[in-house]
Amino acid sequence: MPIYPTLSIGAAALVVALELLVFRTGIFRQAAYWVAMAIVFAFMIPVDGWLTKLSAPIVLYREADTSGLRPVWDILAEEFLYAFALLTLVILVWDRAGRSERAPDGATDDTDADDAGVAADRLPTATRRVEVRR
Amino acid sequence: MARFQYLILMGLCVLVTLPLEFAFDARVWRRPRRLAIALVPAFLAFVAWDLWASSTGTWDFDPAFTVGVTLPGGMAIEELVFFVVVPVCALLTLESVRNVAAGRVRLPGVDRLPGRRGRVEQP
Repeated sequence: MPIYPTLSIGAAALVVALELLVFRTGIFRQAAYWVAMAIVFAFMIPVDGWLTKLSAPIVLYREADTSGLRPVWDILAEEFLYAFALLTLVILVWDRAGRSERAPDGATDDTDADDAGVAADRLPTATRRVEVRR
Repeated sequence: MARFQYLILMGLCVLVTLPLEFAFDARVWRRPRRLAIALVPAFLAFVAWDLWASSTGTWDFDPAFTVGVTLPGGMAIEELVFFVVVPVCALLTLESVRNVAAGRVRLPGVDRLPGRRGRVEQP
């Protein structure tokens, strides 16, 4: 298989493994993640399409290194895996950073200290105390 | 002007997604430390990949549409901007979806999603 699709599949698999084995944020079970990814992929079509359209490409690929599959507006199929890997990795670290910032017991709620008054009732008691103290 | 195409595209991505920060209270730009932490690992990994793929010729950048500043191997400097801007767009989208789904903000024209408590009551 050409190098770009091979590495893209590898990168996507690596990020999935990272979530399942290391981060365990539970992101793949969250509807919000999949909805957001669907929205991002929809907007990726004009943006990445503009970058890679064959009529006047900003980014040019060596054809032999690609899958040659260009399903939407000349965007290479592997670009979607590439985007999945890039963005999921960012989201994993974002969620992990948010969790360790203020919910050591692993509560997934993305609530900042200034939201505590409103959302504290959705957090476990231990976390609520931490939030209120801040 | 054509040389700025890539940068203009990135600028448009920032502009188009910026309202999410406020209209949906995404709070991505306003959590700069957490944002930086989130960006760094992917930035390092994907820039390394980009430097390598640019130098081996898997991909290349048209000098007509880029400012002409390249890193060793030929990677366009715009790629560095890409690896900040595009992840920020994704995080703004994710946090906006979360806020809407949790009833913390309302979708325009929608009072609230069924079964959720509203939070931000517009005056």
